[in-house]
This record gives sequence, structure tokens and C-alpha cells, in this order.
Amino acid sequence: MSSDPEKMMSKADKMTKLTLTRWSADWRGATELYEQAANGFRAANKYEKAKVALEKASQGQVMQSSPWDAAKHMESAAALAQKLSIWDEVADFYKKASELYVECGRAQPASDALGKAARALEDVKPEVAIQLYTDACEILEEDGRDQMAFDLYRACASVYIKLEKFADAATFFLRLGVAADKCDATNSQCKAYLSAIIVYLYGHDLKQAEKCYNDCSQIDAFLKSDQNRTASRLLTAYNEGDIEEIKKVACSSTVSNLDHVIIKLARKLPTGDVTAVQMNAGDDLDEDDLT
Amino acid sequence: MTVIDILTRVDTICKKYDKYDVDKQREANISGDDAFARLYGAFETQIETALEKAELVTKEKNRASAVAMNAEIRRTKARLAEEVPKLQRLAVKRVKGLTTEELAARNDLVLALPARIEAIPDGTAGGPKSTSAWAPSTTTSRPDIKFDSDGRFDDDYFQESNESSQFRQEFEMRRIKQASGDQGLDMISEGLDALKNMASDMNEELDRQVPLMDEIDSKVDRATSDLKNTNVRLKDTVNQLRSSRNFCIDIVLLCIVLGIAAYLYNVLK
Repeated sequence: MSSDPEKMMSKADKMTKLTLTRWSADWRGATELYEQAANGFRAANKYEKAKVALEKASQGQVMQSSPWDAAKHMESAAALAQKLSIWDEVADFYKKASELYVECGRAQPASDALGKAARALEDVKPEVAIQLYTDACEILEEDGRDQMAFDLYRACASVYIKLEKFADAATFFLRLGVAADKCDATNSQCKAYLSAIIVYLYGHDLKQAEKCYNDCSQIDAFLKSDQNRTASRLLTAYNEGDIEEIKKVACSSTVSNLDHVIIKLARKLPTGDVTAVQMNAGDDLDEDDLT
Repeated sequence: MTVIDILTRVDTICKKYDKYDVDKQREANISGDDAFARLYGAFETQIETALEKAELVTKEKNRASAVAMNAEIRRTKARLAEEVPKLQRLAVKRVKGLTTEELAARNDLVLALPARIEAIPDGTAGGPKSTSAWAPSTTTSRPDIKFDSDGRFDDDYFQESNESSQFRQEFEMRRIKQASGDQGLDMISEGLDALKNMASDMNEELDRQVPLMDEIDSKVDRATSDLKNTNVRLKDTVNQLRSSRNFCIDIVLLCIVLGIAAYLYNVLK
């Protein structure tokens, strides 16, 4: 049984090579043989060979001008590469699959492919993952399907948070807000803004948080929402250095509805404890000076 | 006709017929060149309004608004009392067309004004009347608390304290009951918050899926029409295969073959 796929592989290879006797490659037959070989290899748990077979099958499909099948093969190849933990190949294959999907004019599967790639690489190569997430979001936005991009934005922001790059994470939440605005998804928009403010506060950046809050207050939908009130409570609590109030707000139901990464941040929020109290003292002194 | 139209028409009609308003003309005539008369007229009107308000207070059930109205009346009284000297000065002035008797009369009027102002009931003099429902109690005055009415509030205040202690007890009881009610309300509010959040998430998810459903719809439509097409063609093909003519030919040929076989069999036998 294991020899059969090998034989099929070699036969298919021969079919694609141009020699004196063969003046045009028979891609159709070759692709079929490659697919069968790949199945055989997979059944035999020879993932490396299966991956190679799938690659060639995909190329065959490309030659036959059926990008859809080609993309599907590429994705399978990438999944196998993921199992084998060959991360570069994972990224490459998924990117190629995504390009092929775009060729078909199907944006959703394209971004799905990139999303899968990013998820696979999150732990191993976070920068690459972030790049992949961004590309996926762009593809969706170009196609006008912003709503699907929400999940990707959130995942990207959580990767940034893991990397402790809070400003970038907050930026992504604001981008989420923009996307939500385009689709009138006010609830997601307000949650995104509140998450951005919490991220800034967690990064000990009270000024940025306040600026962010002021910017977001310009937006009607946010102004009328629960999240707005929670944000203002949080910021006043921070300004007064009131730790109890901060904890209470962090446990409120509005915050508990956000992404679980943000909830974890919010529960830890008064880590900027010292800075909050310091800022408070500074404010008091200033007021005294003015009076 | 709208309300606004009605109002404007009424206004114009009133203006037109103002010249027939005897009272108003009399007032206008009186206060024509005479500062004293004008001011005195104003005084009269203010005193009348204050008296009306005092009447309303006695009918007022709500203690808070009664207290507010009494305060207003006291304020008006104070203002009037301030303006009395001005009026007196004007009263002494000689105005043309005025007899000495009228001048004297004016002076008397002005002197009578302060008494009238004081007479306006503002909750201090009317105190015992409004608290007739309660048993009057002998009270000790509170010297350390000074009010501008020189402690005439005492009766009022102590009777208030009777009722206010009743109120206080009721208040405490109600507060305890409400504390437990408040807890229940808090829980309900938390539950509602969770429900609201879930509902809006569901809303957004459904919004997300609407265009997907539309796509599915169109794709499935295409697939159905393709299938129908294929079915029709298949039916035609099968019919052709099963057509009776072919069938008869098949049977005839079969008979011929069997006939030949039988003949050969007979011959070889």
C-alpha cells in the first residue's frame, strides 16, 4: 500500500516532465495522481510526503486554471506543515492559498486562510501572526465585509497585549471601532472603545486614556451607551486615586461583557496603583497652588 | 384653527377693546403723571397678591410647598417694608392738581401701609390656626437659635417635632424595608445588564449573518436551476433509451437469435 502512492508520485512526476517523447505535460492526469498519492500518504501517516504531494497537486490545479482547487490543496498542505511544525512553510502555504482565493474573487476564504495561519503562529512567531491578521482584515475591508473582521481585530489586539505592546493593542481596538462604525454595530463599537481605554489605563498611560475618552465622546453612539458611563466612572476613580471604586467598576457587568483578555486586564487594573495615587497627590498640589 | 391662532386673535381683540376697560383706564389716569400714585398702586397690587398667596397656603396640604410659599410671602413683605420710606417721601411732595386734604390723606395712607404689610399672614401668625389638628403643647423658647421673627416660630416648631418624630420612626422602618428591596433590585439590574449585553451581541451576530444568508440563497437558487436542467435532460435521455421502438427491435432480434439457435440445434441433432 505504501508503495502505491510512491509509484503514483513517480508516475505523475514523469507525466509533468517534458521530454523528447512528451511535448506537453499532462497536468490533469498528473494532478489526479498527486491527489491520490497524497491521500495514500496521509493514510500511512507519512505527512512529509503527503505535504509534498499536495503541493504538487496544487500546482497542477493552478496549471489547469482552477485556483479554487489549488487553494484547497494549499490549505491542506499548510495544515500538514502545521502538524509538522514547519512554521515558515505554514505561513507561506497559507499566504499562497489566500492569494489563490483572492484570484477566485472569494475574500472570505482568503482571510480565513490568513486567520488560520495567524492563529497557528500566534505563540511561535507573534510578529508574523500580527502581520497576517492585519492582511486578513484588509482583505475583508476591501471587500466591504467589515463585520467578519471584528474577530480578527480582537485576536490581533490580544496578541499585542500578550507582547505587552499596549499602545498598539489600543490602536487595534480603535480600528475595530472604525470598522464597527461602518456597519452600525454600535454595541461592538462601544465595547471596542471601552477596551481601548482599559488597555491604556493598564499601560499606566492615564493621559492617553483620557485623550482617548475625549475623542470617543465625540461619537454619539458611544456617548449614549453604558460603556461611556463605565469609562467615565473608571477615569474619575483613577483621577481621585480611589482604588475601591476602580475595583468595583472592574467587576461591573459592563466590563465583564468584554473580551476575556480585557477582563483579565481590568481585574488587575489598579496595578498602576502607585501611579494613580501619585497623580492624585500631584493634582492636589496643583489645585492648592492655583488657589 | 390652532391654539396659537386663537391666542393671537384674542390678543388683538383685547388690545382693540382696551380703551373700554374702565378699571385699566382709571389706573392709567391715576398714575398718569403722579409718581406717588403709581408707586402706591404697585404697592396695593403686591399686597393683594401676597394676601392671595397667604390664602393659598392655608389651603395647601403639602408642607414643603407651604413652607416655600410662606418664605416667599415673608420676602415680599420685607421688600415692601423697605420701599415704604420711599413712598413716604413721595407722599410729602407737592404735586400740581392736588388739594391739601388729599395730601394729608396720602400721608395717612402711607402710614397705614406698614401695618397692612405686617398683617399679611405668612405662616407665623397663622401658625396656631394651621396646627389646630395637633394638641398645642407648652413650649420653652430656644434662645440660642435666632430667627428674624424673634422666636415666634416656637409653637410651630415644637408641634412639628411631635409629628416629625412620628415621621422619623416611620422613616427608619421604611428604610430598613427598602434596604432589602434595594438588594433585590440590584440583583435584578445585574441580570438585566447581562441580558441586554447578550441580546445586543446576538443582534450583531444576526446582522453579520444576513449577507451570508443572502449569498447562500442565490447560490442555492443557481444550484437548483442547474439540477432541474440536468434532470430534464436525463429524463429525455432515459426516455429515449426506453422508447418502445427500441424495445420491440430488441425483442424481435432476440426472437430471431433464439430461432436461429433452435434451428441449428435441430439440424445438429
